[in-house]
Amino acid sequence: MLAKRVPPLQSFLLRFSRTASHLARHKYDVIVVGGGHAGTEAAAAAARVGAETLLVTQKIHTIGALSCNPSLGGVGKGHLVKEVDALDGLCGRAGDWAGIHFSILNRRKGPAVWGPRAQLDRELYRQFIQSELLSTPRLTVLEGSVEELLLTEPDPEEPGHHRVTGIRLANGSQPVSASSVVLTTGTFLSGSLFMGQTTSPGGRIGDAPSSAGLSHTLRERLGLRVGRLRTGTPPRIVKDSVDFSLASLHAPDKQPTPFSFLNTHTRCKPEEQLPCYLTHTTPGVEKVVRESLHLNCHIQQDTKGPRYCPSIESRVLRFPGRRHQVWLEPEGLTSDLLYPQGLSMTMPPDVQLCLIREIPPLHRAEIHTPGYGVQYDFVCPTQLSPALQVKSTQGLFLAGQINGTTGYEEAAAQGLWAGVNAGRWALSMPPVALSRTESYIGVLIDDLVSRGVTEPYRMFTSRAEFRTSLRPDNADLRLTLKGFEEVGCVSSLRYQEAVRVRDSLQDALAALQSLVLPTSSWKKILGDVGISETKNSILNGMDLLQYNNVSFEMLASAFPERFSPHLEFSQRLEIEAIYRPHCDLQRKEMERIQREESLSLPPDMDYLSLPVSLSQEVREILDRVRPSTLGAATRLQGMTPAAVVQLLSYVHQTGKKERRSHRNQLDQKGREEDGCTRNVVLPQ
Amino acid sequence: MLPSISAGIWRGAQHILRTSRVAPRRTGLCTCAGIPGELCDAGTIFALSSGHGRCGVAVVRVSGPASTTALRCMAGLTHSLLTPRTALLRSITDPQSKEVLDRGLVLWFPGPHSFTGEDSAEFHIHGGPAVITAVLQALGSLPGMRPAEAGEFTRRAFHAGKLGLTEVEGLGDLIHAETEAQRRQALRQMCGDLGRLYQDWTSRLKRCLAHVEAFIDFSEDELIEDGVLNQVDTSVCDLQAEMERHLKDERRGERLRSGVQVVIAGATNAGKSSLLNTLCQRPAAIVSPIAGTTRDVVETALDIGGFPAVLSDTAGLRDSPDLVEREGVRRARERVEQADLTLVVVDCAQLPSDAQQAPAFLQGHLSSILPTQERSQTERCLLVLNKTDLVSEEWRQQLETELRRSSGLPPVCLISCQTNEGLQDFLAALHSSIKALCGDPLSGAPSLTQARHRAHLQQCVAALSQYHRYRDTDLALAAEGVRLALTSLGRITGRVGAEEILDIIFKDFCIGK
Repeated sequence: MLAKRVPPLQSFLLRFSRTASHLARHKYDVIVVGGGHAGTEAAAAAARVGAETLLVTQKIHTIGALSCNPSLGGVGKGHLVKEVDALDGLCGRAGDWAGIHFSILNRRKGPAVWGPRAQLDRELYRQFIQSELLSTPRLTVLEGSVEELLLTEPDPEEPGHHRVTGIRLANGSQPVSASSVVLTTGTFLSGSLFMGQTTSPGGRIGDAPSSAGLSHTLRERLGLRVGRLRTGTPPRIVKDSVDFSLASLHAPDKQPTPFSFLNTHTRCKPEEQLPCYLTHTTPGVEKVVRESLHLNCHIQQDTKGPRYCPSIESRVLRFPGRRHQVWLEPEGLTSDLLYPQGLSMTMPPDVQLCLIREIPPLHRAEIHTPGYGVQYDFVCPTQLSPALQVKSTQGLFLAGQINGTTGYEEAAAQGLWAGVNAGRWALSMPPVALSRTESYIGVLIDDLVSRGVTEPYRMFTSRAEFRTSLRPDNADLRLTLKGFEEVGCVSSLRYQEAVRVRDSLQDALAALQSLVLPTSSWKKILGDVGISETKNSILNGMDLLQYNNVSFEMLASAFPERFSPHLEFSQRLEIEAIYRPHCDLQRKEMERIQREESLSLPPDMDYLSLPVSLSQEVREILDRVRPSTLGAATRLQGMTPAAVVQLLSYVHQTGKKERRSHRNQLDQKGREEDGCTRNVVLPQ
Repeated sequence: MLPSISAGIWRGAQHILRTSRVAPRRTGLCTCAGIPGELCDAGTIFALSSGHGRCGVAVVRVSGPASTTALRCMAGLTHSLLTPRTALLRSITDPQSKEVLDRGLVLWFPGPHSFTGEDSAEFHIHGGPAVITAVLQALGSLPGMRPAEAGEFTRRAFHAGKLGLTEVEGLGDLIHAETEAQRRQALRQMCGDLGRLYQDWTSRLKRCLAHVEAFIDFSEDELIEDGVLNQVDTSVCDLQAEMERHLKDERRGERLRSGVQVVIAGATNAGKSSLLNTLCQRPAAIVSPIAGTTRDVVETALDIGGFPAVLSDTAGLRDSPDLVEREGVRRARERVEQADLTLVVVDCAQLPSDAQQAPAFLQGHLSSILPTQERSQTERCLLVLNKTDLVSEEWRQQLETELRRSSGLPPVCLISCQTNEGLQDFLAALHSSIKALCGDPLSGAPSLTQARHRAHLQQCVAALSQYHRYRDTDLALAAEGVRLALTSLGRITGRVGAEEILDIIFKDFCIGK
């Protein structure tokens, strides 16, 4: 797979640089605005489900750029990368292509919380994403800035107050129409950059600010509630100016593990990987921060920043007198720069230099680009459906930082799901949702749309209730099959591979379970592996695999004809054996949640006058949040069990009525359609 | 709703995780947060389904797959003796000690031809509190059995399609009433030392979980050292030992007085203490013309027409600069919140001189005294207009006419504690209110709540041993044990959501990546 992926750089840049005047067409199924992690996944996913898609971005050159840290994955985030890959997204394969330092975090803490992570080469990552988009059928890329959304009356058959019909670009050219629009504007929505005491409009340094028109449309015309968040990035440091002898070296895993289920190895050879370095702050750093506070606009503002990726300023202010870790990470194979993870700062450039020089290995370091802060608008995500569509606006989808999240992986996950649903909307297919019982993407989206955010949202494994079932190793079984069979965003190649894996694992598990022996025989075969003589003196192969010092290889060498065909899956089988009993216990609870999530509440329900017995308080909560399923309603703060039962019984009754009337409508429609030819242009 | 205990607690390992993301509400509040989870939970449940107080026969209902086990172990009905829907007179024995608890009727309703659609059983036993408690405890000691949650029998019937449309509409109200009764019951139990103990366990367990979660989510990049886990090891061991000791302690905390909780509340000098003294026919509380005489809660057990009641006199509700009196007012408000029935006492002489304005005045007065959620529940309140001896007969008649015309007020009694005028009518009203409340099996029976707490604690202790089992091999599974333990304990003290755990993590550690 990887070998075929060498991007023909020259030619694709040519094809990309179409301008508005060269537009081949003025009507698309889906328009994606923004070319970051959310936008690229959204555009690719929309095209995969069959929609004719246009990606509009300010600069084609920065498509797939890593604006902040040069790394992908980690604990929780790695889970998201695996899931995006399982749904045939881009970021997992891009990571395997661009990775220059692979490691599995949490290696000793149990496979459910392993965190696959890689340092990336920025250039390679960008090239991979760009070449991938180039070779995606049904996808066109356009350079331009979106001035406003075109809106019209809503489709009366569907809930909502508006319907999106396309976009107008800033250069005054013709409008481009589309059935759905995905906004992935990142930090560009009314973004302002902060460095020291200077403030300038923009979402990323070196890029033009996006037009105020879009922000105005969202706020004024669509009446969406927006909030403001902040983030920041550290200065980039000249590699040659760093004294690495004063930092401790952190080597990558000896054998890199690819993110993608399709890849058996990474592009980077094990021995070619680059190391990272770890160092710490000193009391001098704290002193510089304190003395320069009056020069630091960003820190003085009270916009909400994240608690877990704070600037160095907020770290030393909140936890004074401590050493804080600073990771020195490579920016690429050939890059002359280093990325100091943990040193995000917004003070004036000269003070930044003073600060980093307080850190021993950086005592004579030079700054290539200073760090800066960004403040930007986000749309309160409780205004979205689980398909990431704006509830009040048909065909408008949002993904990424615009929804109040932070992180590449969170953006990619939302982008993929928004793209899938935007494509499906355009092709008149019903929306699809992922449950929090089956994926971290489901947890992410459910948290966003049913609880909203108060600070930039990042994924942690502690957010997932069913952590032992939602593992990085089984993302393909959880999502690839569904992605092909129900969602339509997975290629048949990947699907066939997932089916093969599923069938082989099933065979192997059946073989393990059917091998039942008394404890004494196991001891004879395997030697002393810590099997205790309990009253349960008969054990099967699965039971055996739960022992720490029993590996599948051991079983395979003892019973070669039975197990050696399955050696390919040794690790997955061992993981499965450990978690199977716990997952079985969780299954009932998962089924319950799924049942509740399958009971949808009509988005236009008038809670304030619903003819059931609900308290005013509960009515107001429901009216404000408008949960899309009974499951989401039950998780709202302030809901009472009685209210849930009332809703349940109401939905049961109206559901029956509606299904009946819907059936009648369908019958009628069918009769009407028989007489006329359908004027529908199917996507190629 | 008090969340349920999964059937498996008795077998040790079968826990079902139910981490809620609903933030806990008030301290000591047992429940109420939306837990639809239990809408169709499995397991066998039991509950007292008749009232208490003066009743000759009590009915204990059992529903679920283990119903036949209960009949076999406690009434000696082996398979061959089981006859559907036939009352049999049997000795009811404790399954462990084989001691005979009572002699009564037992019935078996095999599913689906039962109220809940499941296998069900009924025990008709003598109505004394000792017998009821013994039978309930015996049922709870059987594997797979647990006390029913609010409205659970009805919910099961609903899910089995056994309820008609109108009954379903009433289901929400029923659950509301039952959760409210349980909430008040829990509030009473949680405000003492026991409540503090549970709260302390919860906060320690939360911290344990936060530290394990921090170690999982952040330790690779951050300065979170392995020492954190060693602290958790110690804390988990301590908690386990403390809970086990507590479960073995036969005293089971404070013994709460059984009976309908009646609280006398009102403004200062309305005659609340006089009313208490009149009712118990002895000077239980000090009475003086000085406002603010009663500062603490004065409690008396009373038998009102054969029904047990606990009568509490409280400090007059007013803003006071006096620290002691302020505490008295706080306690008074707490009592009103826990009350099954509130007697709001008003001084007639303080009513507006224009009788037409009296209903509106009383309406406003009530809302300043009753807790928000109960303002609409007029049946749980009696309005006592005291000191009728101080107003003119003419005005009084006007007042009575106005009150009859107005709607939305609770029952009103005009009395004079001085002359005992109107006392008979008041006692009759009080008697009927208490009788109605006693008909509800949920009010005033602390043993049921205690049984539930006990079950949750046992589940919590069992879950903590999962932490130790996996501590060194798989931290995800070890953390799962702590999560389960916290979920169980959260069913007593309020749910703990993922956000709360993250709050602790970010408070205790500097997470920089």
